[in-house]
Amino acid sequence: MENKIILSAKNIIVKFKVRNRVLTAIRNVSLDLYEKETLAIVGESGSGKSVFTKTFTGMLETNGEVTNGEIIFEGKNLLENKKDKDWEKIRGKKIATVFQDPMTSLNPVKTIGSQISEVIIKHQGKSKEEAKELAIELMEKVGIQNAAVRFNEYPFMYSGGMRQRIVIAITLACKPEILICDEPTTALDVTIQAQIIDLIKNLQKEYGFTTIYITHDLGVVANVADKVAVMYAGQIIEQGTVEEVFYNPKHPYTWGLLSSLPQLGEKGKKLYAISGTPPSLFEEIKGDAFAPRNPYAMQIDYEEEPPMFKVSETHYAKTWLLDERAPFVEPPVEIRQLHERLSKMPSVKGETNE
Amino acid sequence: MRAVVSLFIVVSIAIVMVFLLIPRDRIFENDQSISKLSGKKDLLAAYKLGKLKDLGYLDYKAQKEICEINQASKDCFSAGSSEINELIKIYEKDGYTINKTEDGFYYVVKDYKTSRLILNFYSNLIKIDHTGVIKDPNNLELERKVYFAKDHNGMLSIKCSGCENQYLLYFNGSFPFIHQNFIKLNFGISYPTYIGLNTFSVISNKQGELKNKEITFETGTTAKSAINLHSCTYKMTEAIDDLDKAKFVNNYAKCTSNYTDPSMIEVSYIMGILSLVFSYLISIPLGVVMAKERGKLIDKIGIIYVNLMIAVPSLAFIFFVRNIGSLFKLPDKFSQLGFTDVRSYIMPVIILTLLSTSSLIIWVRRYMVDQTNSDYVKFAKAKGLSEKEIFNTHILKNAIIPIVNGIPSSIILSIGGAVITETIFAIPGMGKMLPDSIKAVNNNMVITLTFIFTALSVFSLVLGDVLMALIDPRIKLDNKGGSR
Ligand SMILES: Nc1ncnc2c1ncn2[C@@H]1O[C@H](COP(=O)(O)OP(=O)(O)OP(=O)(O)O)[C@@H](O)[C@H]1O
Ligand SMILES: [Mg+2]
Repeated sequence: MENKIILSAKNIIVKFKVRNRVLTAIRNVSLDLYEKETLAIVGESGSGKSVFTKTFTGMLETNGEVTNGEIIFEGKNLLENKKDKDWEKIRGKKIATVFQDPMTSLNPVKTIGSQISEVIIKHQGKSKEEAKELAIELMEKVGIQNAAVRFNEYPFMYSGGMRQRIVIAITLACKPEILICDEPTTALDVTIQAQIIDLIKNLQKEYGFTTIYITHDLGVVANVADKVAVMYAGQIIEQGTVEEVFYNPKHPYTWGLLSSLPQLGEKGKKLYAISGTPPSLFEEIKGDAFAPRNPYAMQIDYEEEPPMFKVSETHYAKTWLLDERAPFVEPPVEIRQLHERLSKMPSVKGETNE
Repeated sequence: MRAVVSLFIVVSIAIVMVFLLIPRDRIFENDQSISKLSGKKDLLAAYKLGKLKDLGYLDYKAQKEICEINQASKDCFSAGSSEINELIKIYEKDGYTINKTEDGFYYVVKDYKTSRLILNFYSNLIKIDHTGVIKDPNNLELERKVYFAKDHNGMLSIKCSGCENQYLLYFNGSFPFIHQNFIKLNFGISYPTYIGLNTFSVISNKQGELKNKEITFETGTTAKSAINLHSCTYKMTEAIDDLDKAKFVNNYAKCTSNYTDPSMIEVSYIMGILSLVFSYLISIPLGVVMAKERGKLIDKIGIIYVNLMIAVPSLAFIFFVRNIGSLFKLPDKFSQLGFTDVRSYIMPVIILTLLSTSSLIIWVRRYMVDQTNSDYVKFAKAKGLSEKEIFNTHILKNAIIPIVNGIPSSIILSIGGAVITETIFAIPGMGKMLPDSIKAVNNNMVITLTFIFTALSVFSLVLGDVLMALIDPRIKLDNKGGSR
């Protein structure tokens, strides 16, 4: 895939003020996002997935601040946007976000129609009637039947899946360049999840936007993503194409993550789980943040932070194991067999994955 | 339905407390007539028993009445006659205590049981006026009909002949412009203050001085008079005098007068509504700004203000603010300038307003903070809407629902505040009437006010729910779903 870089985040550091303490949620993260690709961001809860992507739209809570770095989009550094006015031209119009909970993302006392129309009116300067027409079209596109009637209904008259479809319709209303889906299906039941994921995939083909997909579900990653970034304690510790990260993972944390896939569970065997807890982000982290939980940790892991080692043109990992001086460590057996095991499981390996 | 039940319970408790727990003799403490009767034991007893009967405590019958009811012969009326002895036995069996005056006349007394007290209250509560109400032995040809007619102002009205009231429905220029006399609430009579008047009339009748103006009566006579022609009720033929005959063409000659000042209810009402409006006008913007500027100076000042308001007893606060008012030459008693001067209202309204701001401000602030952290606001922001747009089209729409729902309880609060404020400023309103009538042991008045306050609270809660159902789309459907 030879595509242009559409968004480039460099050396992002995000800090939150929590009472009188400072929490560093994102610790010097860089990422290049390529046009039309789907990037999945995975990692355990609190690793900074949401915070990192929120910096692209200036949506950090008021106690948070990007203290370092730049985000280049359309030739400009987004972090130079100081006022909300500037961000409003990006949000929804260029970079749209779908949040986790469709039950609460919509305003309960406004009609579905008005909530779609308002973005069209705002960003495209259309009249109310034109906006309504476009909105109904969009509703049909995301699979709402009888859209003209349902236009005037309220969110509570919609099921969770339907609401998420509406949320997606809203985000697509202005044909954004980038769509950030922050756990868009976590709150939905499994069959609906699959429908929503398919919907996003199909819409992406049609509209050609770039997708960032935050999820805990590695099955979904295998299904929808081209690239994967694995986050741990406020850093991207490994990134690459789905093939590379799934079948040739380099970071011990990725190994742990992959072997804890519920789909890999075998009868009678305990599911693998990474022991220990992530480090506190209030204190400065010395060395590799994952070291205390890493069964393969070396002396250096506790002393110095590893750099991003290049595995291939697209594959990078942040672990001392890749240093030429490090002893050779074989990934656990589950990981080595992952390819074989996953291919036996059609539910995980998606049907349209090229 | 729940509303009616809770009203019933509260008022019943009030009745039981007032009638059973307050020593009966206390109600006579403020009655001047008592001192005139001192020494005349029988007359005093008869007077007190008569009053207690009027107030609904007990049933009391003197010998004369017993004989009349039973249509006994002349003999019965004399002391110790065999006929009265026979009749007395019936009453004795019925649970009455039998007493004798010094002259040997009987009288019987029976206390009402609690259940009967409550029953009596409710069975007399609603009085419906109809054409059969008047029974005048001296006017047997009295026509009995309800008819439309123009009143003295030329307005269409519904009049009645044979009813207690001459006008059943009429319009005029005073609030609420349409008035009816079909149904009246009857809480009994007021005693020992405002003796003889219906308690409800005491608080709903206008106050102040007589308002005279040129009136042309139905007979054609014109005179300067304060008579309120809409208020006329039936006067028994035996009581009609020449003066009445000069003015009225029929028996509806018992009228009340027009007064210059609003009634107690109106006074409390005016102040309550005014302060409610002001308190919303202040609290909502302030709460919103505080939420927006969370942690900043204005927020901190606001929080200090709210905490102060909560911590300082309202009594102390009222006196404090009243003194500030005095510095600006505003009256510290209502009567100093009276009803017609705007300055009389300024301080009480300010105080009532401020008293209700604290809880409202803190509520609005918390609500706004919740809303700005809510998912739908975040999503609206992610859509690229500006803060102003989000506030105007999203948050406001949500906020109206709880605000509307909360207005009724604010009304209740302002009534609670009014009791103290009206007392301190000596404002002749309902709020002041409550402590006044408790002090004067005006039991029926206490019950009346309890009823009105409770009814108002209950009604406003119901109203809040109804309003909410009207504006909240979610509830609308729920109802439809329920009836399906
Ligand atoms: N407004 C905030 N104030 C303080 N700390 C915050 C704030 N937002 C996020 N954090 C912290 O930043 C870290 C990263 O949070 P983030 O929400 O990005 O995690 P995540 O990877 O999205 O987790 P999840 O999978 O649970 O959504 C967490 O430790 C979190 O506690
Ligand atoms: Mg998250």
